[in-house]
Amino acid sequence: MTSKYIALPKGVSEKNFDAAISDFRRVLGDASVLTSAEQLAPYIKTMMPVPDADHTPSAALLATTVEQIQKIVAICNQYKVPIWMISTGKNLGYGSAAPAERGQVVLDLKRMNRILEVDKDLAFALVEPGVTYQQLYDYIKEHKLGLWLSMPAPSAIAGPVGNTLDRGVGYTPYGEHFLFACGMEVVLANGEVLRTGMGSMPNSNTWQVFKWGYGPYLDGIFTQSNYGIVTKFGFWLMPEPPAFKPFVIQYQHEEDIVEIVETIRPLRISGVIPNAVVIAHALYEAPVKANRSDYVSGPGSIPDEAVYRIMKDHKLGIWNVYAALYGTQEQIDVNWKIVKQAFGKSGKAKILTEQEAAEDPAFIYRAKLMRGEMTLTEFSLYNWRKGGGSMWFAPVSQARGSETLKQMALTKQILAKYGLDYSGEFIVGMRDMHHIVDVLYDKTDPEQTKAAYQCFDELLTEFSARGYGTYRVNTAFMDKVADTYGPVQRNIHKTLKKALDPNGILAPGKSGIR
Amino acid sequence: MERIKSINVRWAFMLILIFFAISNAWSAPENEPNTGFAWKDGEEIYTKICAYCHEVQVGPQIRNRELPAAYIREIVRNGNRAMPAFRYAEIDDESLAKLSEFISQTQSKH
Ligand SMILES: Cc1cc2nc3c(=O)[nH]c(=O)nc-3n(C[C@H](O)[C@H](O)[C@H](O)COP(=O)(O)OP(=O)(O)OC[C@H]3O[C@@H](n4cnc5c(N)ncnc54)[C@H](O)[C@@H]3O)c2cc1C
Repeated sequence: MTSKYIALPKGVSEKNFDAAISDFRRVLGDASVLTSAEQLAPYIKTMMPVPDADHTPSAALLATTVEQIQKIVAICNQYKVPIWMISTGKNLGYGSAAPAERGQVVLDLKRMNRILEVDKDLAFALVEPGVTYQQLYDYIKEHKLGLWLSMPAPSAIAGPVGNTLDRGVGYTPYGEHFLFACGMEVVLANGEVLRTGMGSMPNSNTWQVFKWGYGPYLDGIFTQSNYGIVTKFGFWLMPEPPAFKPFVIQYQHEEDIVEIVETIRPLRISGVIPNAVVIAHALYEAPVKANRSDYVSGPGSIPDEAVYRIMKDHKLGIWNVYAALYGTQEQIDVNWKIVKQAFGKSGKAKILTEQEAAEDPAFIYRAKLMRGEMTLTEFSLYNWRKGGGSMWFAPVSQARGSETLKQMALTKQILAKYGLDYSGEFIVGMRDMHHIVDVLYDKTDPEQTKAAYQCFDELLTEFSARGYGTYRVNTAFMDKVADTYGPVQRNIHKTLKKALDPNGILAPGKSGIR
Repeated sequence: MERIKSINVRWAFMLILIFFAISNAWSAPENEPNTGFAWKDGEEIYTKICAYCHEVQVGPQIRNRELPAAYIREIVRNGNRAMPAFRYAEIDDESLAKLSEFISQTQSKH
């Protein structure tokens, strides 16, 4: 018998699902309950090397109010129907808008997109989940608020709520986004509405200015998790500085990463360089300027010799350190002297500013990211292998030169085994670095797709064996990563899940939690 | 004197009300229709999404090629290789039709 649905939630009969769907329709109206293959097509495409069928949703619900969401969770509890929450739904390279497990119903909050408040003086925003960075950017410009956003590279189409809930990063001094989150409203699985921190107190006006509230701090348990549905989200914005000086420092040898990190760490910890610095490998930057097919053909990873030719032809370092100074011109002048002195010591660094690099397309988009301007230029990464395959491999490293070199060499070696290139960068926190590698492959090529899957699996295995944990992963590998953090943490996550969502209706499988 | 005082009190009360209305923006009734974001026209969608790739050689040029509306719709909804798919919740059908029209127009230059 053929079903009228393209997938069904695990353990839910078609009859029960029919009943749930008609209840959803009563709450949302027919137009906001999507079940046809055509309507659900945009929720199915992912960049992961697994069959789309594994992540096909049964339906999508477009809710716009808290009250609707409360009614939706009641229906889900009644019929044991699991929902997968998305805000702007552009978790590209981590699972996109598709659910973790086949048959889950996507709760799409894109249309719940009011900017509720932007306070110019206290420099904070309170927004609903569907607000994009572009929408907020336009609002700030239109109202001349003089505030800057920090956003991930897919800026215009992604949003602060989804990005921060997955603990994403940007490139300004506010780049570690969850550090700058302040206050959430969460619909719990039992339908209760929690406002975290100071928001719990009626009539408080400090919800977006003081993070901690009273008692155990709860915001963290709603990130990378499935304990609640975030419906409002507060975060801090950076006042526009009077002056901004982006720069890039290039190095010619892979081993120079040791010197780079040892030089940057003290500058970053002391705040001389305030932003989330990026140390990008030549192969991360090359796609903005070069075609892979001009340098190499046939299977296998790109040889070092070809990488050196690309560097020469396109004025790239093997490492390209993008950072910026922010403040008054006087502050920038003082700090620039310190930066130049620190990097100038060994004579290996080539330091370029807007004066020399203003026309360089890689420099232009990096400078935009460091000042919170909209750009999608980083999507050029996908022109490298073509075919739309991508997974972010994202281990955390100490900000210590020797460690970075070890991680880079190990990643490169494992990628090469599977014929894939090292398109990597390090995003410098203060004491940590997110080592971000785009595992690029051609998803239209079954062999490469298989290799990419095995490669990613091996990367996780080998890194965790050495004590290197990943900070975030795509929906096909969440259980594997959860295991690498050991049974005690998994058990606590499960205990919390049971307490907060006994019927397991919220995003089962997120971060390996069921 | 008494009169001035009572006017002041009334003003203060009004101000407090206004203050609460502003500072408690979030406490607006949940059932009020969503007054969130809506696209103005096809050009706005093109400028704020498509152009970031298709005007800077990241994606292929798509304007002035007389691409059929059905084809544009197909690609927008399903994505194409690395191009992400865009959902009805992001670009509703009516806006997508306007976008297709804008992309297909040959005369205007972006
Ligand atoms: C070229 C390229 C570059 C990228 N660069 C970066 C980068 O610099 N930094 C970075 O962080 N990422 C980056 N990404 C990854 C990703 O695209 C971004 O992180 C993006 O911001 C995530 O999508 P989103 O904001 O639409 O969030 P969503 O997809 O809406 O949400 C992400 C996840 O958060 C959870 N979630 C969302 N909403 C809710 C809710 N309301 N309640 C509870 N849980 C919820 C869900 O698990 C969901 O899957 C990049 C991707 C690409 C393709």
